[in-house]
Amino acid sequence: MKVKPVNHAKAAEAFLEDAPHLTFHDERLWDMRQKRDQQMHLLPEWQELRSRASAIKEHTLANLPEYLEQFEANAKKNGIHVHWAADGAEHNRIVGEILEKHGAKSLIKSKSMVTEECDMRAYLEPRGVVVTETDLGERIQQLDGQMPSHIVVPAVHKLVPDVARIFAKNYNTDPNDDSPQSLAESQRMAARPVILTADAGMTGGNFLVAETGTFVVCTNEGNADLSATVPNLHIATLGIERIVPRMADMGVFVRLLSRSALGSPITQYTTHFRGPQKGGEMHIVLVDNGRSARLGMEEFWTSLKCIRCGACMNTCPVYRRSGGLSYGAVYSGPIGAIIDPTFNERKYSTLPFASTMNGSCTNVCPVKINIHEQLYKWRRVLAEHHELPFVKREIMHMAGKLMGQPTLYRTAINGTEVALSSLPRFVLYNWLNPWGKHRELPHPVKQTFHSWYKKNRLKGKEESKGGKA
Amino acid sequence: MSSRDTILATLRANRPDPAAHELPPVAVLGDMDAGKARFEDALQLLGGQILLPQEGDTLASAIARRFPDAKIICSAVPDFEGTIRLEDVASPQQAAATDVLVVRSPFGISEMGSIFLSEAQLNSLNSAAHLTQHIVVILSEKNLTANMHTAYVERPEFHTAHYGVLMTGPSATADIQGVLIRGAQGVRSLSVWWE
Repeated sequence: MKVKPVNHAKAAEAFLEDAPHLTFHDERLWDMRQKRDQQMHLLPEWQELRSRASAIKEHTLANLPEYLEQFEANAKKNGIHVHWAADGAEHNRIVGEILEKHGAKSLIKSKSMVTEECDMRAYLEPRGVVVTETDLGERIQQLDGQMPSHIVVPAVHKLVPDVARIFAKNYNTDPNDDSPQSLAESQRMAARPVILTADAGMTGGNFLVAETGTFVVCTNEGNADLSATVPNLHIATLGIERIVPRMADMGVFVRLLSRSALGSPITQYTTHFRGPQKGGEMHIVLVDNGRSARLGMEEFWTSLKCIRCGACMNTCPVYRRSGGLSYGAVYSGPIGAIIDPTFNERKYSTLPFASTMNGSCTNVCPVKINIHEQLYKWRRVLAEHHELPFVKREIMHMAGKLMGQPTLYRTAINGTEVALSSLPRFVLYNWLNPWGKHRELPHPVKQTFHSWYKKNRLKGKEESKGGKA
Repeated sequence: MSSRDTILATLRANRPDPAAHELPPVAVLGDMDAGKARFEDALQLLGGQILLPQEGDTLASAIARRFPDAKIICSAVPDFEGTIRLEDVASPQQAAATDVLVVRSPFGISEMGSIFLSEAQLNSLNSAAHLTQHIVVILSEKNLTANMHTAYVERPEFHTAHYGVLMTGPSATADIQGVLIRGAQGVRSLSVWWE
């Protein structure tokens, strides 16, 4: 059976109907964007940092096989077991085998978008492994049976009463608890015994350093360091693109990451794992899952520069008003819209259209990915691959014809004045016109620019020409 | 062919031209102030505290004043007693009972207010730094480095430690309706004591 495209617009419509959630979501993310701006203005070298970060990442991607080999050699020298996974299924199998070998039945983990990509919990749980997310937002999402709705703040679409309801059901806390402090404390108290008795710990990671065989994890809650250091077995999963050549390059990225993400200068924890701790065992799984193929896409390979800060999501008016879950994908927002189609072109064919093309995502990206241009390029690719829905395709087709013929276009535009002011609402606002949902069409203009120009300027020109002659 | 070899072969076939993407030289940018005042401002912005001595104070009396209810004060430094020494803590499960852990950090970063800890400071029980309720970090002004660039360029620990954490203030979260909470799952407070 052919997979159906995600109906982003329809899912967003449901999100738009809930005013309290919508307002909070919109304002919270915009606040993160503004805090980012404040940090940016404190650093005169901000644009220089972005240029450096972009150049380092592009260089690394062009030399990715060599840097990965260098990383592997150094990590192995330090006693880390290095695994390679071509796709999500292989990743899950590798993790499952490591756990089985150790007889590990309980796994505590910190947030990792790659394990979401691989849908790892769904693989491990039927095999008898209890997986506990320890990041507060991620745990809320796990208990609620939802994907993270944002790559940095997974439960940003929820309000205090939502969390109180979920915790009451799972932690037997007061369902009317309206204090974020006491709810966060409930998570701490619930997580601590699970952490202390876990058989294995798992983390994601933000960076790999080729020179030293290190991986770097940037977090705030302390749960990642607990997950990595309390059990004797630590498994880390990272995408192969997360690499930088030298330890000294980390300065550029650490200075950009949290400022871009949350508007804080640095995450509370920036942890460098270079080898197993005393008496412990450390594994790292390097995951491809479509990345090596994406590197070959001339117009889209620079999306691999992404350091997953989420700044493009926080600034995007469509994301802020539709919510991450409406994208129906692991990665949402502008960055999601340009990388999701590489995972499944048909399923995510609607996402590059979830943009106003205002370019704000590109402007805030710390590694200078031309996100809005890639959104546009994806639209073209999807049209060429016949992945446009019927209405969009037909309207584009008609618009193309209209705009290709000046006379026809002008007749039609002149006609809109009559149409917009005289047609009944049901003709203007219907399923053929998604722009008519949640917004009014513009007031018709009395005169188009073209007809005004023809009447005034052109006439004047003719006259002055005549005068000269 | 193994997945490793398949992935590397695909990358070699697909990559953009390496000659068109040179590696820029190491960047050392920004404010080069490695001062104490800058460190303190940055630390406090991230919720960390300075443990200030009062007249005639020792570290022990300052800790007793700051943490009057603390029962288990664990010392990872030779020049402070505490109620237990970190060398005598056998496991993370035992470390979890700690109220206050006292450690010495080899360096701090003025730009961020970050302090560094590795297995060398934690007697290889790395979890102790995160299971304790509170942490007191002894730091010397002469061991401050200006910013993230200078830290990564100058400090040998990034090339030697198996576990190296930059802690900047206490653990924190804003995952519930955007409300910032200091003291999430790791330490509830982080205080710096100047020596």
